[in-house]
Parts: sequence; C-alpha cells; structure tokens
Amino acid sequence: MAAKKTKSVKADPVLMQVLRYATEQVADEMGHTLVRTSRSTIIKEVKDISCAVFDRHGNTVAQAHHAPMLLTGFELGMRNLRKRFKDEELDEGDVIIFNDPYIGGQHVMDLVTFAPVKFKGDLVGFVGSIAHHADMGGAVAGGTQGGLTEIYLEGLRFPMVKLFKKGKEDPELFGILNNNIRVPDKTLGDIRAQASADFVGARRLKEIFEKYGPAVVQRHMDALLDYSEKRIREGLVKIPDGTYTGVDYVDDDGLTDKPIKLQVNIHKERDHATVDFDGTDPEVPGNVNCPIATVHAAVYYALIAVVDPHVPANSGCYRPFQVNVQEGLVVNPRPPRACGARTNVSQKIAEAMFLALAQGLPDRVMAGSHGQITNCGMSGYHPETGKRFVYIDIEGGGAGARWCKDGREGQDSHLARFMNTPIEAVELEFPLRIERYEFIPDTGGAGKFRGALAMRRDTRSLIDDLTLARYGDRQVFAPFGLYGGKEGSKGKFILNPETSEERPLKSKGVDKLKQGDVVSLRLPGAGGYGNPKGRDPQAVVRDVRDGKVTIAQAEAEYGVVLDPLTLKVDETRTRELRG
Amino acid sequence: MRIGIDVGGTFTDIVLIDDRKGKTRSGQGRRIHYTKVLTTPQNPALGVLNGIDKILRLTGASMADLDYMVHGHGTTIGTNALIERKGARAGLITTAGFRDVLEIARVERPDEGLYDILVDTPEPLIPRYLRTEVEERVGAHGEVVKPLDEASVVRAVSYLKDQRVETIAVSLLFAFLNPSHEARVKEICRQVYPEALVSLSSEICPEFREFERTSTTVINAYLQPIVERYVRNLIALLAEKYGPVEVRIMQASGGAMSAETARDHAVNIVNSGPAGGAVAGAFIGQLVGDDHVMTVDMGGTSFDIGLIIGGVPRVSSEGQFEGYPVKIPAVDVHAIGAGGGSIAWIDRGGALNVGPQSAAADPGPACYGLGGDQPTVTDANLVLGRLNPEYFLGGEMKLYPEQARAAVDSCIARPLGLSTEEAAYGIARVVNANMVKGMAGSSIQKGFDPREFTLIAFGGAGPLHACELAKEIGMQKVVIPLYPGALSAFGLVTSDIRHDYVQTIAKSAASLLPEELVRAYTAMEAKARDQLRAEKIADEDIEIEWTADVRYSGQAYELNVPVPHDGALTRKDIDALVTRFHALHQKTYAYSSADEPVDVINVRLIGIGQVPDVKLARQKRGPTSPRPALKGKRPVYFDGKGFVPTPIYERDLLKPGNVVKGPCLIEEIISSTVVTPGATARVDPWGNVVIRV
Repeated sequence: MAAKKTKSVKADPVLMQVLRYATEQVADEMGHTLVRTSRSTIIKEVKDISCAVFDRHGNTVAQAHHAPMLLTGFELGMRNLRKRFKDEELDEGDVIIFNDPYIGGQHVMDLVTFAPVKFKGDLVGFVGSIAHHADMGGAVAGGTQGGLTEIYLEGLRFPMVKLFKKGKEDPELFGILNNNIRVPDKTLGDIRAQASADFVGARRLKEIFEKYGPAVVQRHMDALLDYSEKRIREGLVKIPDGTYTGVDYVDDDGLTDKPIKLQVNIHKERDHATVDFDGTDPEVPGNVNCPIATVHAAVYYALIAVVDPHVPANSGCYRPFQVNVQEGLVVNPRPPRACGARTNVSQKIAEAMFLALAQGLPDRVMAGSHGQITNCGMSGYHPETGKRFVYIDIEGGGAGARWCKDGREGQDSHLARFMNTPIEAVELEFPLRIERYEFIPDTGGAGKFRGALAMRRDTRSLIDDLTLARYGDRQVFAPFGLYGGKEGSKGKFILNPETSEERPLKSKGVDKLKQGDVVSLRLPGAGGYGNPKGRDPQAVVRDVRDGKVTIAQAEAEYGVVLDPLTLKVDETRTRELRG
Repeated sequence: MRIGIDVGGTFTDIVLIDDRKGKTRSGQGRRIHYTKVLTTPQNPALGVLNGIDKILRLTGASMADLDYMVHGHGTTIGTNALIERKGARAGLITTAGFRDVLEIARVERPDEGLYDILVDTPEPLIPRYLRTEVEERVGAHGEVVKPLDEASVVRAVSYLKDQRVETIAVSLLFAFLNPSHEARVKEICRQVYPEALVSLSSEICPEFREFERTSTTVINAYLQPIVERYVRNLIALLAEKYGPVEVRIMQASGGAMSAETARDHAVNIVNSGPAGGAVAGAFIGQLVGDDHVMTVDMGGTSFDIGLIIGGVPRVSSEGQFEGYPVKIPAVDVHAIGAGGGSIAWIDRGGALNVGPQSAAADPGPACYGLGGDQPTVTDANLVLGRLNPEYFLGGEMKLYPEQARAAVDSCIARPLGLSTEEAAYGIARVVNANMVKGMAGSSIQKGFDPREFTLIAFGGAGPLHACELAKEIGMQKVVIPLYPGALSAFGLVTSDIRHDYVQTIAKSAASLLPEELVRAYTAMEAKARDQLRAEKIADEDIEIEWTADVRYSGQAYELNVPVPHDGALTRKDIDALVTRFHALHQKTYAYSSADEPVDVINVRLIGIGQVPDVKLARQKRGPTSPRPALKGKRPVYFDGKGFVPTPIYERDLLKPGNVVKGPCLIEEIISSTVVTPGATARVDPWGNVVIRV
C-alpha cells in the first residue's frame, strides 16, 4: 500500500492513520515483552513501566498504554540524548541507559533505555523504555525511604551511557551494577528485559521504515504530531481565557513537620496555555523534590485529561503548552537534592491542576484523591533461601468523585496507573503474610457524588529484622472536595494495630520490624463532589446497606435518616434535615 | 449424523453432517447441509427447534439417525447475561479480611481511562453486602495457619440464605494449594442452605492470584442458574419433540461438554462464540495442508482473529470478558471493533477513522436504505464495486448504491477534499490498517511470524478484505472456505469433547521430584477419565495431554510447555521440559538464559473425548474452464489502478480445479471474494477457494 507518489509533499491522511496503528503496535509489543520477561513484582505485577516510539528528532510518536507519569517523561531525556550523541556515534544494537533526574530522568529507581533505529546507515528513529527497579543500591533497599537528604544516598546515578554496544552487553557496566545492587538476580534480569523490549521494538520499527521508506514515514509522523497539536489547540479554544490558580500542600519532607506549598497558575489564552509555579515553596532537604521531567508529566497529564483525553498522545500534544518553572523550587530542584519520593509532589501537581481548572470547567474535573503513590519497601533475608529480598509494595487509592458519578472504589487515578501486587504473589515469594485488604467505612468524602473509600492493607512480618522503608502523604492535608463536596479521610500508618504494642509510624521513614509485627497502611479516602444534602437518598441507602457509610454518617453528612432495621428512608425527618 | 447449531444474535445457523453409511445421496462420502433461521431472543431454544425442523425437512434426514448435536451460543446464553448484568443474585464467601478483593480488583484503571477520568473498571458482580467472610487461613505452602471456624461459616451461609441469594461463590486464600476449607464450606452450604448452587474457586480455577481466581468463580456463580435453566428447558423441549437426544455444549476452549456438565460449569460458556470458527479453521487448515493458520471472522460489528498452531487452535487462560478476568482456557481469539457495519467518521483533528461504532443491522449501512446516513465499510465496498447491489444475500436484500455514495461523499469525501472513490478506498485502507494491527498483535506479540501462516477468512465481510490484509501483512496464501457464513456451526460438529484441569504447584524445576509431578497429573487424569466416561466416551477415544506452565524464577507470567510421558516421568523428562522452555522463551521474547533457575508453576491436563473424524467427500473435477461460472464484468476499484473492468464469477458454478486470476470477484449468497490483481485463485476438491496473493 504505497503512498500516492504524485502528491509527494503532502501527507496522506489515510497513511497517517495506518502508520499510527503500526507504531502503536510497536510500543504495545515492547510493553508486553518487558512485563512478561521481568523478574521483580514492581514490573511484572505492578507494571511500573512505559514504552515509546520516537522519530529521528526524538519526538514521541506512539506510546504503550501504561503510566502517564512515565510517558511524557521521555521528552526531556530524549532531547538530552540528541545533544549528547551525534548520529554517527549511534549504532544499531546500542542501548543507551540513564536514570539521572537532572538530565531528564525521573528518580534513580527508574532506568530509561533508548535504542536507535537505523536504515541504510542513516538514523531514522528510536525506541525507548522506562521501568522502576527493585533496587539501585543506595542507603536503603528499594530506595523507598522518605527523608533521604542527598541524591547520593538514593542509589547509583547513571549519565547517558551505552549499556549494550552493537547488541553486546558491556560487561564492565554490568559488573558495576552487579556489585552495587542488593538483588542483582532480579534487577539485572529486569534490565535485560528492558533491552529485550528495545531490541524487539527496534526490529519492528525498522520493518516499518523498510516498507514505506524513511522520507514517507517521517513525513507522516510529522503529520501525526501536527494532527494531535491541532486537536489540543481546538480543545483549548473552547475553554474560557483567564488565569486559574490551584494550591495544594505536601505534609512534610520527611525531616521536619513543615508543610510544603504547591501552587500552579494556568494562564490560558486562545489556543495555548502557559503554566507556572509562582508561589510554590523552594526545594527542601528531604527527598520529595520533584525533578522537571516529572513536573512536565503532571502538567501535561492534567491538561490532556481536561482538554482532549482521547487525542493520540505524542509530542504534538505538548506544543500548545509552555511550562515555566524556575530552578530551585521543590518542583525543579538543583543537584544534589534528593528526589526519590517525588511522587508525593507530582500527584499533587496534577490535583492542583484539577483544582485550578475546576474554576472554569466544573464538568471536566475530579475531586482530590489519594494524591501520591504510596511506596513501602520491605526487605530482609529470606529464611528459606538465605538470600536478600526486596518487595516494593506500591499502593494506590480510590478515585475522587466527579461531576456525574462517584469515585470508583479502589481505582487509582492520574499519573499513577499501576497494579497492586496480589496477596498470593507476595506470600509465595516473600516471608510476609497479608491479613487484611479492605475498605474503611465512612472515609469517602461526602458529596452529591461520594469520593472512594480509604483502603487498609495489613502485612505481618514472618521474620526478624525486616526493613520497612516508606514514603506516604496526605496524613496532614486531606484530599479536597469540590463544589460543596467534603474532604476524604487522611491516611495513617500504624504498627501492631489493635494490640498493646500499637503505635503510629511516620509517613516517611524507615523502621526495623521483628517477627510477628504487623504494619497497617491506612490510605487516604477521596474527596466528594457537590453538596452531600443533594445526594440521591437511594444512593445513601445503597452505601449504608453495603457498609460503606454508617447510619450515623448518613444522617450527619447526607441528612438522610434511615430505619436501622429496614433501611427505609424516613421521609419526614430527612426533609427536615435537608431543609 | 451430527448437527451443529450456532445461536447468534440475529440468526441461528444449522449445519448437518450426513455420514450415515451408504445412505448419502451422492453415494460417496459425507455431505454437509446448511441452513439458517431467525434467532428467538426471548427463548433461544425455540429458534433452535425451528432450525432443527427446517434442516430435517430440507435433507429428509430423521432424528433417529442422530448421533449427537452440539450447540454454540455466541453471545446469547450466559455471555449476554454478563454483558447486560442480568445474572443471578449471588453471594460470595471469602477469607476474613478479604471480601473487598473483588471490588478493589487490581487498582489499575482501564486503558481507555489513561487520560479520561470518567472511564472506570466495571462494578463488581456481587455488591459488598452480599460478600461475607469466614474465619480461616491457609498459608503459601498450603499449610493451615488458622483452622476453619465452622460457626463463622454457618453464620455466613445463614446470612446469604436470609438475603435470598440463588447461588454462592466461595474463594478462600491459597485454596488452590489446599482446598480442604473450601470443600468444608460447600458441605456446610449443603446442610444450611441446600437449595443454593455453590461454586468453589478450587474447582473452577485452582490457580494463584486471588482477584482473578475470585472473579472467575464469581462469574460461574453469577451465570450458573441461568445456564442451568436454559439447558434444562432445551433438553425438555427436544425430548418432547424427538425423544431423548444427546446434547453437547461448546465451551470457550474449543471443546464441547455434555449438557449435564455445562450445568456446573457455566463460566466455560462465556465468550464461546468464536470457538466454533477457530475449530473449523483448524479443520479447513488440515484439508488444505496447513497447520499454521490465522482465522479472521469479519461480520457486521467485529473482526475476530484466531491462531491455529500445529493444527490446534491456540488456547490461553489469561482472558477477560467485559473487563472481568476469566481465567479458564479459552480459544485465544482477539476481537476488534471492525466489521461491515463499522461507521467511518472524521474526528475534530481532521483524521479519518473507522469504527468502533457500528450501524449494526438497524439502521444498518446507508446502502440498506433503512434510514442509515453514516457511511460504513459496506458502503465503501459498494462504492468500490466490490459488492453487487442486486446480489446481496443472494438477492434477498436490495442495496442502494446512490445512498452509499451520498453518505461517503457528504461525511468523508467533501471534508477531506477527496473524490468519492478515493474516500471509499480510504475507508477500506483505514479499516484494513486497524485489522492488520490486530493481526500483528495476535501473532507477532505471541512470538509467531504471520508470514508463515495461511489466512482463512470467513464471515460475511471477511472474503472482501482477505487478499488485501494478507498482502499488507506479508501472508501468501488465503483460503475462503465453503460456506464462509456457516463456518462456526460447522466447527461445532467437528469439535471434540474437552475438559481442562489445572493445579498450581509453584516449585523450582531443580527441586521438583518426578513422582510429585506424576502424582499431580494422575490425580487430574483420574478425574478427566471419570468425567469423559460419564459423557459416554469409550476408553479408546480418550486422549490425555499433560502440559506445564513454566517460567524463569521470579517472572510473573508462564509459558505453557508440553510434557510428553508414558504414564511415568524421570529426572530426564524434567530436564527436557526445562530445555523446551528455554527454546520457547527464546522464540517468544527474543531471549533465553540457560543457566537461570526455572520454576514449574502450574501443571495442566487436557482430557479429550475424540469424536469420529468428519471426512468430506472430494468432489470430482469439473471442466477445466471457469467460463461457465463467469457472470459478466463490472468496474471494481483497486489500489493504484482505479476502476478496472473486472470479471465476476458465481462461486456455486466454479468447479474443483478451476483457476481464476485477479483482478476478479467471486460472488456467493453470503459474501463476495475480492481476488486482487496478481493473485490467483483455485477451487480445491472440497470447494474451498485457495488464493495465492
């Protein structure tokens, strides 16, 4: 199916779609390969990864459907890669890695790989993958401890280096990794899985170039980017011009109790928007600092979600947006600030963006949610094998309420799009026992539409000397409600709940657990939308029947009075309470 | 004599294979008869009876000669109840602390919800107040950590009884390693609430990952009363009219089961619609001498892609349906929203899209003249001359080319600045690209090179697009089977009985004792043989296959590897299993690592009750010239050539051995085969059209 040769300069809208499907298939296949062949639960169960296809300039052309945080995160890294290597320095079979947050990376746990694709000696495109690793060395296994003060503590930090040269592993780099990582069996396997995904992707992308020729493919990739840009611009035009500001807070940086202010200011004019962070607090000693690539991801995510959620996600989408962030803020820190726990900030940037946009677009936004990515690293020595293990428990929370429906219970939102780790998968692999995984009643923000309930996950250590390194948030500042909707509940971490040894655990920190200790994660509930007194009484009845809302809360928050036995609505008293 | 009945959404297709010795009219081998009747959605059994009646009249056959009949249910029974959330009132019993696992699911939102904050995972089939907990715990080695508190079970069951649930799912943690607690819960259900149907996770899906296992068990419970009622009614109606009849039901795995078994295994019917086509694809592949086949079934709204590897439809247990995981073996058919009724539209960025919205049967494509004004793939094919307006459904339905042109023109051609024909061809290319992406995903992503496969295309629209799809993806051989509209029903009559068993063992291959493996397999084999004997399969027709799900230590996904055996296994056999795994991993994921430890996660066993082969009669070669089949010429649009005067052949008149060269069209009642320029089509001795593209 060759393109029409007579109209060689103009892109063929049909071939553009054909190539879009083809490159999306390449990205999907890469993601599939990576998940299937990886070794750590963080990749194979949680799917904390992404894969993408790029044109020769480094523009993202197609992405696999994974975590939005990592998707847009490729952009800056790719720009730096193009500066770092000349075309002729890149060979087929090369895999370039980096994880330095200060050259476009996320945090050091996320390793980015890029592989060039060549056609008749010319560089024609790239494929890339990013994955969160179980360990990168550093002060604590899994890098999940809040409160670390310098990036040096967080693990090995790679500039852009070739890990594979012309298809061959660099034994020296692998040697360095092997000596510095606690679980080399897992992590080296995972890195090889990333390289394998890149090789598969490069081979497929090359076939596309062989079939259509590089000039035709590039022309239609350009057209695809223009097309996405056009869609975003058209969407922006429909949003009222003006400046929208949203403010949210991070509880603390893990070292002091001082809250950290985040402020986003969206200046929307005709078909473009500028976002700045004036009013945001400066960088902090603890590791919640959020590197610039993650900031971009959060801003782009929220804007695409509001403007045109089904646009083909590629570099063209970002052109109508300008992100101005001065250096030295918590949202664009300078080296050697630590940034391992950046997701405490990045999810809240997305939420602050929604809060801001709610002013102009009440029917496009979601109330506040979990607002973070709770990371809980549990590590130690497995009694059956004597080997080191690292289990990274990533917890999401339920969704915030929207203008037309409740927040979906248990479903994570925004930048995070990860999976939980099945209880049976955890226990088959690690000396842990999970004793509860359930909703907590009365924790969803009340509203015309209710926010999702908080979740509780209790894990018992079956060994002594278990390291519990974690970072969580929204234990001081609750998830916000919108338009009269109430806040969701705050989170907390508890050691040995409902026993004489019960005590609270800091949201960000590290502790040693002994055999039999139980850590109970109480994640935040999500915010409600609209006045709770306007909620359909039958929806309240359903919630009460399901044990999600108590009769007391039904009356206090929703003004719905129920007969405790029959759950029938007492119309008279309900009318009185609702006014 | 056997009958296959495929109950589709609109039509019920009936195929009768007449293999009575010496009784066939031609006197030489077996004949296929085919007819269709309207489906009766209120009670599909009535349509089934109409269909049986009709085919018996057409063929003069008698039910007295029937060996058995196989029913396939597309989306009508069970599947539909799931789509519409009209299953039974069901309760769930879980380990204390875990009743919300079903609702928390895997936390992840659907792909379509990546940026769309309104897209949610589906609500659980059992609401929270009907999910109850019992005190007990089994650990990761199958050991009892906390004994079952029977009083808590009595409380849970009594509560569900008070709530008047019809059916109860039981899913306890690690029940796949130690089913004793679940078994005891079932006994207590029998005592406390004997009317309730009970589904145990350790029987329905004994595999690890509690959410997926629970989801599968819950679907079984949710559908069981519905399937049970339907089957009982069907058997009663058949018995009333014809006396006792042996009824089998198609499962998603591509194997049939007795109607009796279906009553307890409702979940095995979910999404069984595509199974018949895949089984038939394997059969046709065998006829034409190919054991690597891709089947594509293109109807009005969807395009189903299946793979036949080594003559056997590929089966996977990683499926989901409507967003709910269904972890039972199912023919691995990937469906995308592309069909003859798929609507072409221009989005706000000015790009041409086709589907997934479909004009369906009502109002249907613009050319049906039933009020549809959106251009569809069928309209595009009509504009391009590929469909004959006077011969659609053999002339039973008239098409209106001018309405097709008008729709393509106003919705696509004018906004894009293209001619009507260019726009119509653009629609065909975009829908083809979407289908090719699906075909690549179904093959390449699973480690198979589509270029090594033969394409078998069926369904009303499949033959129209087959040659272009094959060319686009690099396949060389295309087969359009005889009766492309009835292939699913044909697959039903060729399918064996099949039962699948699985047991998670999760041990390293190095430490695994051969006798341990043998013990697991022989336990499953005993169950399989008992089951098949109960379904009246003779011992010599029983075939047992052992396989294992294997992965590198630490991976989360397994590859299924065959375990050849002679009833016993030695260390050598386990080593050979590991070697086969390395090779398969290399083929699937482009790498393997011979010195890495390997784990055996599940052992699987397939018990097959073989049915007698269907042997079709080879037809005599007719005159070598296809000329008697030539109906005339008309202009048809081809890539890079525009409209070309194209010969039109009548398929019924083409004889075995006839060869026609592209460009040409082969028309038949249900469909039309486009033979592209440069391709050559030959009719084989069984009436299949075999095309070299």
